[in-house]
Amino acid sequence: MSEPHWVDALSVDDLPADDVIGVRVDGREVAIYAVGDAVYATDNICTHGQARLCDGFLDGHEIECPLHQGKFDVRDGKPLCEPVTDALRSYPAKIEGRRVYLRLD
Amino acid sequence: MNEASAVFPREVHWEGDGTHRIPFLAYTSDELHKRELERFFYKGHWCYVGLEAEIPNPGDYQRTAVGERSVIMVRDAGGAINVLENVCAHRGMRFCRERHGNRKEFVCPYHQWSYTLKGDLQGVPFRRGVKQDGQVHGGMPADFKTADHGLTRLKVATRGGVVFASFDADVESFEDYLGPAILGYFDRLFNGRKLTILGYNRQRIPGNWKLMQENIKDPYHPGLLHTWFVTFGLWRADNKSQLKMDGRHRHAAMISTRGQAGNAEEVTQVSSFKASMQLNDASFLDIVPEPWWGGPTAVMTTIFPSVILQQQVNSVSTRHIQPNGHGSFDFVWTHFGFEDDSDEMTQRRLRQANLFGPAGFVSADDGEVIEFSQQAFESKPFHRALAELGGHEVENTEHMVTETLIRGMYRYWREVMEA
Repeated sequence: MSEPHWVDALSVDDLPADDVIGVRVDGREVAIYAVGDAVYATDNICTHGQARLCDGFLDGHEIECPLHQGKFDVRDGKPLCEPVTDALRSYPAKIEGRRVYLRLD
Repeated sequence: MNEASAVFPREVHWEGDGTHRIPFLAYTSDELHKRELERFFYKGHWCYVGLEAEIPNPGDYQRTAVGERSVIMVRDAGGAINVLENVCAHRGMRFCRERHGNRKEFVCPYHQWSYTLKGDLQGVPFRRGVKQDGQVHGGMPADFKTADHGLTRLKVATRGGVVFASFDADVESFEDYLGPAILGYFDRLFNGRKLTILGYNRQRIPGNWKLMQENIKDPYHPGLLHTWFVTFGLWRADNKSQLKMDGRHRHAAMISTRGQAGNAEEVTQVSSFKASMQLNDASFLDIVPEPWWGGPTAVMTTIFPSVILQQQVNSVSTRHIQPNGHGSFDFVWTHFGFEDDSDEMTQRRLRQANLFGPAGFVSADDGEVIEFSQQAFESKPFHRALAELGGHEVENTEHMVTETLIRGMYRYWREVMEA
């Protein structure tokens, strides 16, 4: 068993409060969400239209796509309403020493 | 300049008290054409849009038309059929371009407004604006409600696998609209068996749309124009025949029965009026009587204003009238069969569809005579056509030597058009 590989994504200081930010980690576009003290991460591109979820609107644990108002649960990437039907890939995320780490493997 | 034009009148003028002399202007006036669209196609009438068998699965759709308005017939996830107008609620674009396909939603390409298969608006790009440097710019106003901006949804009636739609929410029931006599012939053809789609023909005929209704309300011409019919014995003056209308004379059925219809060999080996002429491929006339005919070998039904239901021996088709301007219409033929048809019967229906279809030996003639009639109408709209065979009256008959169905249609036309 190899150790889980945590990748340093960004500083907590760059994390907008109760909002979403798009980052590029290991060549991958990821959306990172701050909900209260918790942090979550999913793929940044919507599974429906060609849009970045970091341009969307975060309401609690729900991210609304700016293009067609499809919604996902940021905790597990599950689609919540039409027109989105396919889940986003979600990634484990944690805060350690004022850095946000993701597991992309 | 106030002088009325002798050649190009503004008002229709009917000679006599009936509808046996039809003014050319009824075929050439843009103003009357618009009134027809409004009063026949968009209000108080059911228009044909398609067959359920064209959209068997959830998400299947077919682009079609009601009058000159483009509509989409679509089966939603729950299996219900919706008919939606193909006009985006945003900038009015006719967004659906494909003739048919399968979709989970409709998206207008212009600004990507997206709609459910029931026509509800579900997504508006940047509805909440665009985020930039911690600020949100633009977006739709707070009072914008998606519920107010769905696609226009038509009232839908399905019967026997056929789909009709109406823009008029107050239209009478489809059954009342047809009336009992015509409904009987409708149910004879669409008697509950599942339909199968065999194929389409599409043609654009440069003539007024009513001429096609009149063509199928005119039993005078088939034995005279369609010489092929006569040569190969498919049309005979001694055919037993009936003409029936609904109570308002707008719909009609031309019913004919060949004397020896029960005997396939007799029908196939028809004695030719030109004995020396023979078909290179006799399979065209390989006619097999079917139990559901219940006697008649051909029933041509005109459902006003939008469709003709064809049963000519083994060929069964709908012919959809889609006007485009007063002087032109698209004529869309959908050839079908029934799920219990043998492969042999399917081949037979296809061959006969080709025989009767727009590029076959019969209806190619009709497209031409309609075009040439329209040319003359445009040249002297003060004149009128005659429909006096069988007299001046409007009545059901037990023979075909009459133009009563045309007179009946124009009696209805004058009532509704107030012209």
